[in-house]
Amino acid sequence: MDVRMMKPSDIPHVQLANITNLPENYFLKYYLYHAMSWPQLSYVAVDVSRPPKSPYDPPKIVGYVLAKMEEDPADGVPHGHITSLSVMRTHRRLGLAEKLMRLSQRAMAESYTSSYVSLHVRVSNTAALHLYRDTLGFKVERIEPKYYADGEDAYAMKADLSELRVLSQESEDEGEGVGSAGK
Amino acid sequence: MPQALSSKENSLFRQVVKSYETKQYKKGIKAADQVLRKSPNHGDTQAMKALIMNSQGHSDEAFALAKVALRNDMKSQICWHVYGILYRSQKNYDEAMRAYRTALRLDGDSQQIQRDLAMLQIQTRDYEGYIESRLTMLKAKPNTRQNWTALAVAHHLAGDLTKAEDVLVRYENSLNNPPPRTDLEHTEAALYKNTIIAEAGDYQRALDHIETLLKHPLDRTAVMEMRAQYLLKLGKNEDAEKAYRALIERNNAFRDYYDGLENALGLDRLKEESINRLAELYESLAKKDERVDAPRRIPLDFLQGCSFRSAADSYLKPRLNKGIPSLFANVKALYKDTSKLQTIEELVNSYLEKSAMNGSAEGETKAGKSDKFEESVLYFLAQHYNYFLSRDLEKATSFIDRALEKNPKSVDFNMTKARIFKNYGDTEKAAAAMNHARELDEKDRYINTKCAKYQLRNNQNDAALETMSKFTRNETTGGALGDLKEMQCLWYFIEDGEAFVRNEKYNLALKRFQTIYDIFDIWQEDQFDFHNFSLKKGQIRAYVNLIRWEDYLRGHPFFSRAAVSAIKIYILLHDRPHLASLVNGGADFENLDENEKKKALKKAKKEQEKQEKAEAEKQATNKKTTADGEVKKEDLDPKGLKLLQTKEPLEDATKWVNFVLQFSPKMIEAQNVGFEVYIRKGKYLLATRCLLAASKLDPENPSLHEQTIRLQHTLNTLSEPLAPKVSEVLKETFKLVPAD
Amino acid sequence: MAEEPQPSNITAGAEDTPSLPSNAEDRKAAAALSALDTRGADDDAGENRKNVDSEALGQAMKNLDLGKEGKKDEEVKKVVKVDAGDVKLLVEQLELSKVKATELLKAHDGHAVRAMVAFVQASA
Repeated sequence: MDVRMMKPSDIPHVQLANITNLPENYFLKYYLYHAMSWPQLSYVAVDVSRPPKSPYDPPKIVGYVLAKMEEDPADGVPHGHITSLSVMRTHRRLGLAEKLMRLSQRAMAESYTSSYVSLHVRVSNTAALHLYRDTLGFKVERIEPKYYADGEDAYAMKADLSELRVLSQESEDEGEGVGSAGK
Repeated sequence: MPQALSSKENSLFRQVVKSYETKQYKKGIKAADQVLRKSPNHGDTQAMKALIMNSQGHSDEAFALAKVALRNDMKSQICWHVYGILYRSQKNYDEAMRAYRTALRLDGDSQQIQRDLAMLQIQTRDYEGYIESRLTMLKAKPNTRQNWTALAVAHHLAGDLTKAEDVLVRYENSLNNPPPRTDLEHTEAALYKNTIIAEAGDYQRALDHIETLLKHPLDRTAVMEMRAQYLLKLGKNEDAEKAYRALIERNNAFRDYYDGLENALGLDRLKEESINRLAELYESLAKKDERVDAPRRIPLDFLQGCSFRSAADSYLKPRLNKGIPSLFANVKALYKDTSKLQTIEELVNSYLEKSAMNGSAEGETKAGKSDKFEESVLYFLAQHYNYFLSRDLEKATSFIDRALEKNPKSVDFNMTKARIFKNYGDTEKAAAAMNHARELDEKDRYINTKCAKYQLRNNQNDAALETMSKFTRNETTGGALGDLKEMQCLWYFIEDGEAFVRNEKYNLALKRFQTIYDIFDIWQEDQFDFHNFSLKKGQIRAYVNLIRWEDYLRGHPFFSRAAVSAIKIYILLHDRPHLASLVNGGADFENLDENEKKKALKKAKKEQEKQEKAEAEKQATNKKTTADGEVKKEDLDPKGLKLLQTKEPLEDATKWVNFVLQFSPKMIEAQNVGFEVYIRKGKYLLATRCLLAASKLDPENPSLHEQTIRLQHTLNTLSEPLAPKVSEVLKETFKLVPAD
Repeated sequence: MAEEPQPSNITAGAEDTPSLPSNAEDRKAAAALSALDTRGADDDAGENRKNVDSEALGQAMKNLDLGKEGKKDEEVKKVVKVDAGDVKLLVEQLELSKVKATELLKAHDGHAVRAMVAFVQASA
């Protein structure tokens, strides 16, 4: 699978993945709002191993992360927020969710000097909880009762990004892009 | 000239305007009426009232009132501006722009109107007009960076890269100091300029420019990617290699980076001498990260023979151990090479034998239980034998049944079972099996979606909607279907529509396809606010990408699928008009004699009038207005009957035909159905055009042959001769395939 | 896996209420209501008075639209005679708008048959 930044042309197909997998859905315009405000933050996982069927094959989105910077941060500190993250159940166990999150988080730190990233997750979603808490180092801040339309509670979670910001600072001071050797 | 008002009326007028902007419609109308009581012919007030009425949904009355306002005050800028806004809300952009221009002529100072005009111009891709407008706006406010950027974008989209760059440079040069590196608008504008330079093909200059941006890139990924591309284009392969390696370190899951690296190293997958080096390259890349898939999967594409076999073996085993559900999906693309297909088939079958013998996989397993491995192998083989290139449905069934014996609750296994039924052509068993899979995990929407799709393939429209309703917001107007429409769930409407077509419920099918058409209209509208928004946000590259995507919006496969199906129905309606009246049971019509036909039509008509009356009464009692006097948009044709009863099916088809031929011309079905419409409309040149296009795509296409003969016959048996110029064109372009 | 509900103020399509010229107070009220601030405030925002060298800006503005006129000179618009009857024919036979039909004819020196042949033979 290819994991890369989301482009506007991906959006109808990301929307399809979202409405296929999740009960929380969005107008196309809301995706555009993300893509036009913070284009660097949203990523897609594309199944590129598919044999082509027609001259107009759309990208097969098997995972995505739709992310933003919080418009009105409560504490005035800029931070990122995950609007939606999903991987097709047919493409589990490939580490896609982790990869999508890490790429998005790095972009939050690099492009928008984000101090931390927040998200909401259904309390029943143990797989997601494991990803955030154990793999990505998120902490539960609080429970938001009846957060979702169907009445389920949500964990409000948060992960610190200051380490990523330091890394990006360091490589900037070196005057080169990360990893590029000798000019 | 706007008429004078007393000071009391003036403040009332302000109130009208404010109420409009804060969406307090009833309040606004009230205030307007107060003014009009004293000054009944005050055009501006009438115009504002019309504007509010339009927002409430009373568009006809709004237009009427706006016209009255204009008659009362032909020279009022406000009246013309309102007139333009009304047209805009009706999506009549040409008239809207005309009205705005008139308003501007009356008072050129209004920046608001100028901006409204500009937005419409770019929305309708009137590049010349847009450039003019942005130039005017820039001259009025040259201090605002946005205005410079906007003008540059205008030139860029119009295709004048030189001018676009020039505009950006002029502004840059006017700055005293370069803005701080944290100034997003500035860094984005610089990157935007860079893309223009590159688009013009001047890679050296683009490279030089981007190296100045390397120090403080806010969008580091973009800068690194662009730089790597330029290095490659300029043949600076050593530097390109380093650049791509750096990119792979940042993100080792993007094929573009690997392709770039291969190019930089001069490696060619088609050349034998490259293969070893390629294999080494990927081996070294794979070593850097145990879990990364790309450097392990990519070699399977270019390796052959024994090396392929050994690489495939190393790839498949650990993933079967881990039980990765997408493993088969990931390798099936290799099957277009028959020898690879066979190799994989042999390998995986051998795992099964070994596993049966040893009770565990050969080689290393990380605490892999033999059962899990065997399950995975059975699952893989079931998918393998289900796949069209390696199909053997009996084997597929046997393998999936064995897998299910071990793990009957696996949703994945049950899904494959359903797929096998599908390939047998047994849509009923397929739907039942998919539903069974769904019941195993009712909280998961993915399997719910799959189940609904399979139900639709089995023509169970009601059951499918019921399934979907487990995840939709059913309190929305229109219930589950209404929610699906609101959330733009295209796939459902396509599948539902196609199922209705199969059942000859053409009214409902047309209704579904029309929903799809409407959603695409909304998607086209969606870009509107961003013409302004993106300039403020400064993310210009993203905005340009948006515009370019919107230019090909209806190339989306769901649109063309809907188009082809809708067009076919319209052709049917043209050929057999009675289908419009006989909503059900139109099939036997042809076999009736004259009297029976008349009776059937009469009966159908009566039925329909009865239904229409009931609907109308229902509408009257249900007519909802909100607290603010807004009319809730009711669906006046919920069952698509009006669509079905169109008096001009070919005209209705034409809107679909135009789009599908413009945006999916390589789809041969589109050319086929286009022909059918044009020949019936008597547009023989356009029909010929479709034939020519189809023959370029696929000269063996069966419809093409039949259509060619039919066109010839039609032209031979015309009741009236064609215009001479038309005949000339046909003579030159329509040449029969000299087969018979 | 992470899910946010869509905010209630998001609407599909274009924003319904374009504003009219009014004072700053009215504009602020309107701006506050929209998630996508599509109108109003940008006239004031983005002004860069301090950093911009007014003289340099004046220089930058010079001849900004010359390109347009320059272009006109380059193009040397040929006066192509296009027959109204031909336009009508193309509109009818090729289902083009009057504007597009005229453009097509002009591109083929007013020659109707050639224009139509080119159109029919155009590749996807």
